[in-house]
Amino acid sequence: MKVKIKSWNSVAIWKWDVPNEEVCGICRVAFDGCCSTCKTPGDDCPLIWGECSHVFHMHCLLRWLATEGSRGQCPMDRKAWVTAK
Amino acid sequence: MYTPQRSALRNLKMRNKNADLVFPSHKPIPDKSVGASKQSGTNAPVKLVIKPLKVKPMLPVNFEDEMWHKLKSAIIAIHNHRPVKESFEELYKACENLCLHNMAPSLYSKLVNECEKHYIAEKRRLDDNPATQEAFLFEINRCWELHCQQMELIRSIFLYLDRTYVLHTPGIASIWDMGIELFRKHILPPSAVRQKTLWGLLSLIKYERGGDSINRPLVNTLINMFSQLNIYTQGFESQFLSETRDYYEEEGERLVEKLSVSNYIQHVSKRLEQEHQRIMNYLEKKTSTPLFKVVEDELIRKHIDTILAKGFSDLMKGDRNSRKNSKSKLEDLEELYDLLQRVNALDRLRAYFGNYIKNTGASIINDPIVNDPKQDVTVIEQLINFKRRMDEFVEVSFSSSYNFDQALKEGFETFINKRQTKPAELLAKFIDKKLKIGNKQTSDSEVESILNDALVLFRYIQGKDVFEGFYKRDFAKRLLMNKCASDDYERSMLFKMKRECGPGYTSNLEQMFKDIHTSREFMKAFYDSRYGDQLREEFKVDLHVNTLTQGSWPSYNPTPLNIPPEVAQCQQIYETFYREKARGKGLKWYNNLAYCVLSAYYPSGNKEFECTSFQAVTLLTFSELPQTELRTFEEIQQATGMETKELVRTLLTLACAKVKLLVKHPKGKDLKPTDKYSVCDDFKFKLFRIRINSVQMEKTMEENEKTVERVFLERHYQVDACAVRIMKMRKSLSFTELISELLGQLKFKAEVPDLKKRIESLIDREYLERGRDDPTIIRYLA
Repeated sequence: MKVKIKSWNSVAIWKWDVPNEEVCGICRVAFDGCCSTCKTPGDDCPLIWGECSHVFHMHCLLRWLATEGSRGQCPMDRKAWVTAK
Repeated sequence: MYTPQRSALRNLKMRNKNADLVFPSHKPIPDKSVGASKQSGTNAPVKLVIKPLKVKPMLPVNFEDEMWHKLKSAIIAIHNHRPVKESFEELYKACENLCLHNMAPSLYSKLVNECEKHYIAEKRRLDDNPATQEAFLFEINRCWELHCQQMELIRSIFLYLDRTYVLHTPGIASIWDMGIELFRKHILPPSAVRQKTLWGLLSLIKYERGGDSINRPLVNTLINMFSQLNIYTQGFESQFLSETRDYYEEEGERLVEKLSVSNYIQHVSKRLEQEHQRIMNYLEKKTSTPLFKVVEDELIRKHIDTILAKGFSDLMKGDRNSRKNSKSKLEDLEELYDLLQRVNALDRLRAYFGNYIKNTGASIINDPIVNDPKQDVTVIEQLINFKRRMDEFVEVSFSSSYNFDQALKEGFETFINKRQTKPAELLAKFIDKKLKIGNKQTSDSEVESILNDALVLFRYIQGKDVFEGFYKRDFAKRLLMNKCASDDYERSMLFKMKRECGPGYTSNLEQMFKDIHTSREFMKAFYDSRYGDQLREEFKVDLHVNTLTQGSWPSYNPTPLNIPPEVAQCQQIYETFYREKARGKGLKWYNNLAYCVLSAYYPSGNKEFECTSFQAVTLLTFSELPQTELRTFEEIQQATGMETKELVRTLLTLACAKVKLLVKHPKGKDLKPTDKYSVCDDFKFKLFRIRINSVQMEKTMEENEKTVERVFLERHYQVDACAVRIMKMRKSLSFTELISELLGQLKFKAEVPDLKKRIESLIDREYLERGRDDPTIIRYLA
């Protein structure tokens, strides 16, 4: 008997590309979880990367940038926030 | 208006012709009042003077006697059926004249006397009449009819008396009424004759009830006579009703034992119809209410419990697997419903209906064969059929009554939730079977109607979370193994559940559905990209990747498996593509969930196997080995890197199932650690493509337990969250108050001991604390 693979249906679970168990610097919730206003993690509560290499829940960061005190800066290093492409 | 004086004057004028005609030329009389005579002189007009009589005119002495004599002989003639000598006009005049001369009172009393004499004679004749029953009734009837005719005539003759004296004198009856009064007094006093008539009538009615035909016009006129004589109510009706009661009491007791319930119901309906006819035919309308009450009492009300206890479940019973009730059953129940509605006893029918549903439903659910997993699907099918039949009863037989609908609902809710999580599990599996490829139902509408039926049962299930757990597991399998019969069915089912339980209930399921579609789009983009070209060039493997969102799917644990290197490389290529396309996202592979198609080359021909990744990897280790080479368990395990438990399972499916791809040495059903395996080169099977059973019963049981476990764990979290939410708001509550709040707010049916445990656990974890003074008070800890 000779056997060959004809087709292979894989299953994978996608994860945010961040180090394990790291939390959002604003809401202190794991990136695998969601920000404080969302109910389910996943595409509905995406992350956002800055050019400064810092990562946050997008909702958290937008809320932060909307406050006057933020002055459009990254909350971690106080550099002007530029979203990475 | 007539006055005797004026009329007397008129009479006198006609009788005495001695009124003077006086002419002026003959004997002139000066008349001052006529002015015209003075002017005209001798040619004055003729004058007419009327003078009063000098002597008051007298009636002939024997006037009254003569007149009365005429009238009397006429009355006697009428009573004796002889022709009347005088003309009726003359007689009428005689009566009128007597009245005009103030002789009405004596005329009236003479008339009464004369009639009375007649009835007394008549009575004597009847008393001596030896005729029995019907002949006697005819006699009475004749007597009454004659009375009516004769009185009619007599009244016509004495019409003037009737219209004047009688009408204006209070306290005396009209001639007709006087006749009735005399008839009642003399012919039918409450005595033997009346009794005899009554019994005669009652026995005729009894004959008719017994099915004989009777002389209805006779009964009709006689009963009419009772009404006319004003003795219907006390002289007839009361005896009639008590006779009816006796009759039906006996009949009810006899037949309720003897007849089957359905026949009995039909009999009662027939009886009611007959009594209705009786009222139409010869009874007074007012008897209707008491008569029906008697019949209903005796035939229905007294026997409600007997009827229901004896035959209700027989009436309801149908073939378990048939969806329709027989027409006769529907009709029988409809009649029963109508009968019980008449006597206001629908509550009892409703109670029986509810109990029947509870018991029958429970017997379906608790059927011993249910424990055999193969029978699972039939249970749900039976329940669906049962529900349809009950719906039909409510709709057709119970005139869609709201109360019966409620009873139906309550019944289903009660029995379906008796077996905790099992019905939810069975229902989820049932739906899974219907939505999977290979389901027999072909038409869309058929599937749709089955889904609707299933949803009806779903509505009754309290453990909706259990259902979701099982549904989600099966749904995941369908999606990942590509076994969905149709995306439309899936979408329709999701939509139905959403409508039933709100968007929160299906959000995960919808996400799963979305994941599969996104994955397909990604695969298309992948094969269009240079990565796809690379894959096609280097490998001959057809790769598909389903990318899942964590949290929405059932939680899976990756188990170790050494996948073939070419597959690993393919996955590598795809992951590079994915990272590029979906920025910020990486992949974690769950190779234990993969399934694949293998091409197998045998000396006898080629085959294709659809199998799980475990089976594929195990089979691959045997590829190109001669049949003579045996491998031990350890050797296989080392090559595949699988856990012992998984490998045992996989080998069982490959070497011990119906389709044996591997040969076990020695042969047998169980695996021993010392067993060895080899390929089977002379493998034969009639199909080209073979689906290798992956799931062993043992595994299913384990999976079921896990699913239930997970649901219960989920419930714990819900209780915790709910308790903390309540306490945060209320700050402090007594233990029992908290429990009842929880019971009110939780969506599933919680058991109090479980809630107590959760509260204890929250106290341990310092979310709550017991009151220091009063340990029954629970306080929220901020």
